[in-house]
Amino acid sequence: MPVPCRRGCGKNAVLKRPKTGDALCKECFFWAFETEIHYTITKAELFNKGDSVAIGASGGKDSTVLAYVLKTLNQRYNYGLNLMLLSIDEGITGYRDDSLETVKQNRDDYEMPLKILSYKDLYGWTMDEIVAQIGRKNNCTFCGVFRRQALDRGAAMLGVKCIATGHNADDIAETVLMNVLRGDIARLKRCTAITTGSEGTIPRVKPLKYTYEKEIVMYAHYKKLVYFSTECVFAPNAYRGHARALLKDMEKIRPACIMDIIYSGETMSVKEEVSLPTQRTCTRCHFVSSQEVCKACVLLEGLNKGLPKLGIGKSSKAKRMLEEYNAKQAENEGTLKDAIKDLNDTSSIVARNERISGKKKSANKENNDTCNKNDCCGRSCKSNPSNVDPVTSNKKLDMLLEQFGLDDKESVKQKLNGVCDTNEDSSEVTPFNEQEEDDTCSASCGGSHIGF
Amino acid sequence: MNCKKCYSPSTVILRKKDYYCDNCFMLITNHKFRACLGKNKVLIPYENVMIGLSGGVGSTVLLDLVHHATSLENTKKLRISPFCLHLYDDDSRELAESIIKQCQTYKIDVFVVHQAVYINSKYELPEANTLQKICESERRDFKDLMNSMPPSAANDFLLKIKRILLVEFAKKINCSVVFTAETTNTLAVNLLTNLAIGRGSQVQYDVGFCDNRDDKVKIIRPIKDISIEELNYYVSIKQLTPVNYNHIKSKSLQSVISSFVSELQDNFQATISTVCKTADKIGDQRESINSEKCLICESDLDMKNMKMSAFEATNVSRIVSLKDSQADPTYQETSDILHHMQNNTNTSVFPLINKYLCYGCSRNHSEMNLHKLPNQLQKALRTNNLGI
Repeated sequence: MPVPCRRGCGKNAVLKRPKTGDALCKECFFWAFETEIHYTITKAELFNKGDSVAIGASGGKDSTVLAYVLKTLNQRYNYGLNLMLLSIDEGITGYRDDSLETVKQNRDDYEMPLKILSYKDLYGWTMDEIVAQIGRKNNCTFCGVFRRQALDRGAAMLGVKCIATGHNADDIAETVLMNVLRGDIARLKRCTAITTGSEGTIPRVKPLKYTYEKEIVMYAHYKKLVYFSTECVFAPNAYRGHARALLKDMEKIRPACIMDIIYSGETMSVKEEVSLPTQRTCTRCHFVSSQEVCKACVLLEGLNKGLPKLGIGKSSKAKRMLEEYNAKQAENEGTLKDAIKDLNDTSSIVARNERISGKKKSANKENNDTCNKNDCCGRSCKSNPSNVDPVTSNKKLDMLLEQFGLDDKESVKQKLNGVCDTNEDSSEVTPFNEQEEDDTCSASCGGSHIGF
Repeated sequence: MNCKKCYSPSTVILRKKDYYCDNCFMLITNHKFRACLGKNKVLIPYENVMIGLSGGVGSTVLLDLVHHATSLENTKKLRISPFCLHLYDDDSRELAESIIKQCQTYKIDVFVVHQAVYINSKYELPEANTLQKICESERRDFKDLMNSMPPSAANDFLLKIKRILLVEFAKKINCSVVFTAETTNTLAVNLLTNLAIGRGSQVQYDVGFCDNRDDKVKIIRPIKDISIEELNYYVSIKQLTPVNYNHIKSKSLQSVISSFVSELQDNFQATISTVCKTADKIGDQRESINSEKCLICESDLDMKNMKMSAFEATNVSRIVSLKDSQADPTYQETSDILHHMQNNTNTSVFPLINKYLCYGCSRNHSEMNLHKLPNQLQKALRTNNLGI
């Protein structure tokens, strides 16, 4: 039986909003969805008139919808923003290469300039190469830490006033849970802020902070937006997955709990006597850090020295690792000199990397077990790549339609029966949503600094 | 493997890696209990203390720990006069009877109160060591009330009711301190639950060592640093008999979180202690003593100053999803929506929030059948609402 649209426009509703339970027709949904984001942007004063804004674009649903909605609202309400797309190429075969094609499509469709920065150029390593070193665990730490800095670098190059990211309500709620599980009080405190960034850094804003992932998927679907919907081939082992699983289970019981968790995060305060790390700049790369040397530099150093686990876990462990490494190096005077030269010479990362690629072989031997794992399930197994069309095989969307769509179209139903299995949604990971918090060993976990 | 402390053969393994013998383990556990009371300095000597008993492992051990500490004859004697209180309902009569027996072995008086007294807020102290009689209508109304809402709200609401009953009956027997027996496991679950139901600002009262929301009675949690794993060893070493009884309704946020936490704990042994350490860092000093309190949970209604909150966002979602009575429904200006929200509090998702109810209780309120609420509460909410 058709359900009439709650706004009384006379049309039949196509979906039930998960946040409030109201049923809306397609047109009213578009309008409500956009108006809410407009409200958030203006009430929280995310932008100033005339600002240049970089949209962190991954090609996934969140950033695609963000780019589309910002473009629409910018025109409708005269924000006077100069919007551009900023993408990071992590170098993940079978995932990022395909999604970047989608971003290029967005660039053409929305007529925005696009800047792509790659890990290879910035750090001398692609994620494929990093995973070959570190194995299937902890790799999201590298990706997240590097992406965060890469976005900063890109934004600085573009000369923008702020970076808008596609974090949605689900992501934020998930992050709150994850920070509690990991005991990361500093991030717990700031993760629900709609604007983040201290003085001297380029602020990041989250216009979709109060927008449900489900509605984003529905919006993209009904608007027929082109986006990329494959899960990152390396993501399944991330710790974030636990928080995600819990949130999905809770959402089934009480859909509003996502907003409740965000509200909890917003109203909770941290005891005064708890010491929190202070933000400063890294002594090596001069980007934001809570330590003397930032996480990105520690991780990179580890990679370049053939100690990929250097930045993973407690900093005391890292110190020990470095000592052992240095002792080993001391045996060979020549290599030591080489290493010192490496350390002093930060400008020629790529050249160094070429030299190091020779060393990598020996490093591989040290990490024999991780590499074995990697051979069987790592780079060789790519998920079915490049499905740019959101309609043909997006299981998640089908599931959402089944749950929340009050579908009046018989065809959709048939498709649902055919395609949608009752398995858990293999929810795609939106890459730009992990940058700040996925760093599984927080930079704040140890008070001591690592010096090289 | 041998005990970590005295190198005699071990009998206890904690966190899959720490070995202890019975004696050392009991010493440590007793110490945890005493250290928790000692370092927080809330107890005044010779104070009357009411112990809230549920009959589970936690409360069984707590009772034993208190009994042990009060019967010491040296300088370490715990100088308090304990009383017990058990809240029972129709489904747990047998449990209540076994709790009376349990208390008799320690020669401590227990008052057994029926939860349904909440309905008429008739808080009369029953005769000690007998089940409180209760009239049929109260019993039925209470059942109706609890069944009038979804399981997640019911679980939460029941916790708040129990809290009120503990406080009220503590006042009846002149106790200014109540002991409850939450373990690290319960508190880890409670922290996540509190977050999931929008009670983030109340974490320090619901999960911390001391709940001082009531002016006269403090609720404290002396075994908050002891895990269920340790309690189970304690019970088996001392050969105690807890009556296991799970009161959480299934298919609720609480049950989902509870099974999630124990599963994660199995794989990551540090999970629960990490979560509890996080809880210890959350909270702040009360800003104003005179602030309005939630009519259900007694939490402060003072609002942090925020540019925008999730509550406001939900309200906006509601407004833009409703048929609009005004001529111009386009909400061109953000101020239009703001204006609408201020003038139409009745369309708000939580009409009573921040005036009479906190966010978490507002959520429950929105999901329950309001006619089943206790009369005096209905009246308070209704008159207040009309008085806006």
